[in-house]
Amino acid sequence: MSIDPTGVPHHELLTTRREFLLRGGAGFGGLALAHLLAGGAAAGTNPLAAKAPHHAAKAKRVIFLFMEGGPSHIDTFDPKPKLNELAGKPLPESFGKVITAMGEYNAPLLASPRKWQRHGQSGLWVSDWLPHMAECADDLAVVRSCWADGINHSTGVCQMNTGSILAGRPSLGAWATYGLGTVNENLPAFVVMQDNPASTINGPRNWGAGFMPAVYQGTRVQAGSEPIPNLNPPAAVGGDQQRGKLDLLEELNRDHASQRPFQSELEARIASYELAFKMQAEAPEAVDLSKETEATKKLYGIDEKETATFGQMCLLARRLVERDVRFVQLYSGAGSKWDAHSNIEKNHGTNCKATDKPIAGLLKDLKQRGLLQDTLVIWGGEFGRTPMSEKGTGRDHNPTGFTMVLAGGGVKGGQALGATDDIGLHAVEDRLHVHDFHATILWLLGLDNMGLVYRYKGRPERPTLNEGEAYKKIAG
Amino acid sequence: MHPTPRFGPGIVSLLLVGLAPALAWAETPLPPAQQALYQKARAVLESNCFNCHSHAAKKDKGGLMLDSRAAVLKGGESGPAVDDKAPGKSLLLTAIGYEKDELRMPPKGKLGGEQLAALKAWVEAGAPWPDDGTKLTARSRGGITDEDRKWWAIQPVARPTPPTVQDPAWNAGVIDRFIRDRLDKEKLPPAPLADARTLIRRLTFDLHGLPPTPEESAAFEQAHAKDADAAVTALVDRLLASPRYGERMARVWLDLVRYAESDGYKADDYRPHAWRYRDYVIRAFNTDKPYDRFVREQLAGDEIAPDDPESRLATSFLRLGIYEYNNRDVRTQWNNIVDEPTEVVGDVFLGLGMGCAKCHDHKFDPILQADYFRLRAFFEPMLPRDDLPLATAAEVAAYREKLAAWEKATADVRKRIDAIEKPLGEKAAKASIEHFPLDIRALFDKADAERTPLERQLHALAYRQVDYELDRITAKATAEQKEKLIALRKELTTFDAKKPAPLPLANTVTDVGPDAPPTLFGKKNPSPVAPGFLTILHPEPATIAKPANLPSTGRRTALATWLTRPENPLVGRVMVNRLWQMHFGRGLVTTTSDFGKLGEPPTHPELLDWLTTDFVANGWSLKRLHRQMVLSLAYRQSATHPDPKAALKVDPENRLLWRGATRRLEAEQIRDAMLAATGKLDPVAGGPGVDSSLPRRSVYTRVYRNQRDPLFDVFDAPDGIGSVPQRNTTTTPTQSLLLINGVPLIEHARALTRRVEKEAATDEGRIDRAYQLLYGRPATAREQSRLQRFLADQATKLGPKVTDAPAVEQIKMPHRDGKALVVHPKGSPWLQVDGSRDLPEGDFTVEAFVLLRSTYEDGTVRPIAVHHNGDVKQPGWAFGVTGKKSAYKPQALVLQLWGKSDEKGAGDYEAVFSDLRLELDKPYYVAVSVKLTTAGKETVTFYAKDLSNDEEPLGVSPVGHRITSFAGRGPMSLGGAAVPGKPERVWDGLIDDVRLSKGALPQSQLLLSGEAASKQTVNFWRFEATPGLLKDATGTWHLRQAAKPAAADPRHAALVDLCHVLLNTSEFLYVD
Repeated sequence: MSIDPTGVPHHELLTTRREFLLRGGAGFGGLALAHLLAGGAAAGTNPLAAKAPHHAAKAKRVIFLFMEGGPSHIDTFDPKPKLNELAGKPLPESFGKVITAMGEYNAPLLASPRKWQRHGQSGLWVSDWLPHMAECADDLAVVRSCWADGINHSTGVCQMNTGSILAGRPSLGAWATYGLGTVNENLPAFVVMQDNPASTINGPRNWGAGFMPAVYQGTRVQAGSEPIPNLNPPAAVGGDQQRGKLDLLEELNRDHASQRPFQSELEARIASYELAFKMQAEAPEAVDLSKETEATKKLYGIDEKETATFGQMCLLARRLVERDVRFVQLYSGAGSKWDAHSNIEKNHGTNCKATDKPIAGLLKDLKQRGLLQDTLVIWGGEFGRTPMSEKGTGRDHNPTGFTMVLAGGGVKGGQALGATDDIGLHAVEDRLHVHDFHATILWLLGLDNMGLVYRYKGRPERPTLNEGEAYKKIAG
Repeated sequence: MHPTPRFGPGIVSLLLVGLAPALAWAETPLPPAQQALYQKARAVLESNCFNCHSHAAKKDKGGLMLDSRAAVLKGGESGPAVDDKAPGKSLLLTAIGYEKDELRMPPKGKLGGEQLAALKAWVEAGAPWPDDGTKLTARSRGGITDEDRKWWAIQPVARPTPPTVQDPAWNAGVIDRFIRDRLDKEKLPPAPLADARTLIRRLTFDLHGLPPTPEESAAFEQAHAKDADAAVTALVDRLLASPRYGERMARVWLDLVRYAESDGYKADDYRPHAWRYRDYVIRAFNTDKPYDRFVREQLAGDEIAPDDPESRLATSFLRLGIYEYNNRDVRTQWNNIVDEPTEVVGDVFLGLGMGCAKCHDHKFDPILQADYFRLRAFFEPMLPRDDLPLATAAEVAAYREKLAAWEKATADVRKRIDAIEKPLGEKAAKASIEHFPLDIRALFDKADAERTPLERQLHALAYRQVDYELDRITAKATAEQKEKLIALRKELTTFDAKKPAPLPLANTVTDVGPDAPPTLFGKKNPSPVAPGFLTILHPEPATIAKPANLPSTGRRTALATWLTRPENPLVGRVMVNRLWQMHFGRGLVTTTSDFGKLGEPPTHPELLDWLTTDFVANGWSLKRLHRQMVLSLAYRQSATHPDPKAALKVDPENRLLWRGATRRLEAEQIRDAMLAATGKLDPVAGGPGVDSSLPRRSVYTRVYRNQRDPLFDVFDAPDGIGSVPQRNTTTTPTQSLLLINGVPLIEHARALTRRVEKEAATDEGRIDRAYQLLYGRPATAREQSRLQRFLADQATKLGPKVTDAPAVEQIKMPHRDGKALVVHPKGSPWLQVDGSRDLPEGDFTVEAFVLLRSTYEDGTVRPIAVHHNGDVKQPGWAFGVTGKKSAYKPQALVLQLWGKSDEKGAGDYEAVFSDLRLELDKPYYVAVSVKLTTAGKETVTFYAKDLSNDEEPLGVSPVGHRITSFAGRGPMSLGGAAVPGKPERVWDGLIDDVRLSKGALPQSQLLLSGEAASKQTVNFWRFEATPGLLKDATGTWHLRQAAKPAAADPRHAALVDLCHVLLNTSEFLYVD
């Protein structure tokens, strides 16, 4: 960890604060906390209490690596020799017309200059853009037959997160949190990180709770001393001063609550301050990478300029799932940076380089720590890219056939499932709609997509809009 | 009050003490023991049976489903799987026990011992299953049954005789008679009445969404002591007559109609005219517009009163849905646009979820799939209109006359402008059209008269994308063309005096014409459906009269008329119930937008009917209804009860109203109450939406769908996407963090401190004043002594070194991550670079991410970064945005250069103007790269990129200039600059990531593409915790606030802490 600009080593500050919080915690909200942690009686009423799954879960946690903007499947995991044969020619009639986002209708097919090789014992095809992930081939289940409804980023990202191309529904992470709760309330149950300061398409509603209560929404987390917004008091407020304020607040709130004995919400409010401060104690430690060895950092590519950012995010993700955060979502290329409408070579070259080693590092690290078996790792974007060219050197959006990759969490590695047509335009075999894909993730988490119900305005709402079927082949 | 307590554990708050409800309508969640049985059994069913017997698998072998209790009891071809009366003899046990050869399940092999035991235990316990919406038997498809016709919500509204109750006080009012009668039957005595101060706080929040002033509370307390009833009546009348009432009531309505002011997709474009509908709603409530008229105007104002701008404005209701500005799949988007109001109308007016019936007959309610399409058919002819001014015919005529004069005067200039713009426009339009699918492209080649109604709708929707491109053609002009255009536009402005003020516009609808496009129903063989109402209420197709003299179908008028017929059983009941929820925290029907079978029947059906009849019979007056409700004794009860034991057993959720409720303030009320208490609340009503940093009421702040104010976000404000009838009330640690650590809260605490210091002289007086302002009551003696002790302790802790600097305020910039610096001329100060330093000797580049909230009224430049001491003879530069009356162009990026030129030597000055204009309240990346040293080719290149829209290209504007060199020193500052002898110039808005680099960076090296420091970086200020808020990431030049922190009295600082604590208290955040 770097040295604090005030000249005080950062971790020392942290220790002090931790101590203070733990000391202070004994008195502060002790009663409410005891009640909260008692589980038993309170468990039924605390919306974040850990809940039993519908069936035996293969995965307990999820790390969703979202390549925002749409990575090209036909240049990464879905080799199409036929495409290179037909390159330069217009899309043959036999493949059918599609509406493309940018509407270059008669653009010729664009060859993929990638070098392809089989990897691992399984012989899984991976292109030379992802040499490190290729080393994990035997852990990867590559689903080549995904399809979605949205042709634009907004609708695509919305659907990959919420099941619907139209805004307003809870995200998958919110559903998982609603269905399973969390065993660590000192950290948010659903955490989101992104690799650059641009807004993701659609902004925070990608990890929103939609019509469900805000308690299920994702929380943005960043590395550094303030991983969660407003986690720390403003710099000018001293520890003693803050403690004086909190003591007074607790006293006033207790007085108020004791006069209103049947308003349990008031107890919850007192407890929420207590939880906030437990979070304040735990979150900075959870994101403190200084405890990691150089070898681990190297594994994630943190020592290299190109891979440092996503490497740190992947390592943070591991630290969070270790602490039983339920759902972690990492955005690579936040703000559609994978959107290679032109010069895909440079665009994807850079993005693959930035993510390949960190992701492989994450998979290897999870595996060596015994976490991979019950942590589901997902790689993919909102759609793939067209075999047709755009602007001569790029590819347009392709929601009709694309690849998602899964690993760990009960998934059988080393298999490629489903298929697109000869040029990768349409999914043709074992077609997996986003709803099926979501049902599969939920199924691995022990949840039945039709049994997970939240009643809203008289409708039994389900995460996959009453559609979708788990693709159980993925578990082998 | 939590909205829907029976929907499982997830709804309400972090922590609810659950007491088993005992009243008949209250659902009991599964007790823990049963839940455990269920979960074990469920796991077995899931892994062994669902493959052949579940909806998920879409299989019901032997006609048997096993995925709900109802299905298990119903069973399949062999009979019920579980026998409700004798569970031990259930068929399921026989099957899994392999007791009969012909019925062995699962067929592949007998279950293992543990699994068998789990299923057996569960069946024997009666197959407990938690309520997941499947407890009801699904309806059979197709028709309407006699059973359906018994549904309470569609029965004619009755006028029951109110019962007589013993207590004479309660027997005086109709509401009280119904409520008390039920309480008496359950032997529950009501709570005593709330005291005066509690009551005025409750009433003022309920009817205004604001706290009462201390003066109002005191006056009411006095009047109340003399004659309680008269005082309450007078108070309610005053509150209902105030314009604040409409603002509060509007919030309720805006939740329902999914109001927001942006598109809600990727670009999330702001809709500059959307606010007019919000003001319409406020006016309607303030003038007590009859509710039936209010409904009719929103559905069909354009047909009912085409000459009345107010009525036409009301149709904005149909335009509040989301819109994707670049969707090439025009047909799908149009289909969604027509579907959207169909569902909203079901939610808002009928209190029925029509959404289910879009894909199938409603599973539990008698709403047929055909009913969805019959309802949709009313909206099928709709055409969005943004071009119709909100003006009377006379006003339009006067405008046109003036405009004609202006057009005549400017014909020549405009012709010259056209000569440049027209070819650009034609090219842009052609390119845009070519992006559409062939069938849509073909529509552009057809004459309007040849287009079918649907084709006209599709063309209009597609044309919006062409129009979007046409708005941006200047960006595609060559530098030479741009220069010409700028000059010509400037010439055009010389005729501005002749130009009429533009007429107000709004987002409204009309019909596409007198003929409607078909509404098609059926997946395989779609056939046209005629408009019609719910089959169960009105099976025949609707009777529709085309309006005379109007190219419109009359469909929406027919719908509006049917909905607001006095006999309509739903519309009146639904609205009465919404008001009840507003005042009592819960509707008589708890599920206010679901009067169907998955909702709950009313707790007091006769009261609901009595109120509805009365409401309709008295001109649908909402104010009258409010008055009836809040004057009742039921409403005026205290939230505490002297002897709650019996009631807690029978009715722990207080459905029978044996006491008042304690409710958390809504997000907007929390903000408004803080502004009111600090005295900052700006009472100006109406007008365009404003940034939430301004102290206007929350209902007037801008509502973006994809970027929400953090306070609103964590306190459950709706997202403006679907209709929200009841807000969630969550209690989360993120709320606590925001309230106790967030900078805006500390600013509120400071403002409150300044106020109480001004209004009272002693600690005791100040504490008392704060209590009055926040809680509407004086502090007790005990509280006084505790708080005075706090002040003393806290002051000691703070010591003598405390300062009272306005905090460096930071908020998130829209469409960007991390926190940006807030700079405001009257608030957060601008920053100076610490220490003077050499100017870069030659070329340089300065970049920043900015958001501009306002410009100066005159031509003064708002500075982003300045490196100049204000002396015109000294060298330096200033990068900023021009003011409103700029000689050149308002709101444009400009670089002011002071230095040496070949023409004038040292001491020359030149303002280099770009043609890049920043829109207010939008986030931008801006940069200027300055070349000084290439003789004869001195250029400045400006860059600007709208961050809210990725599709917008980076704007580039190269401009020549004559300054050739700098030499000298000067102070550097961000967001402001001191000018000797003149008022300082200050930025207004946000600034983030300012980078100063040596050399004129090429486009490829700009911050926008790299976001990092490079070798050429001189300074990089990022305003992040690492390396420090005001630190330079290069470690070279740190920042300090221009306004010097004044030493403060520790007792003042302690008072700020006290006020901050009070703003965090439950007593402030909740109302009894």
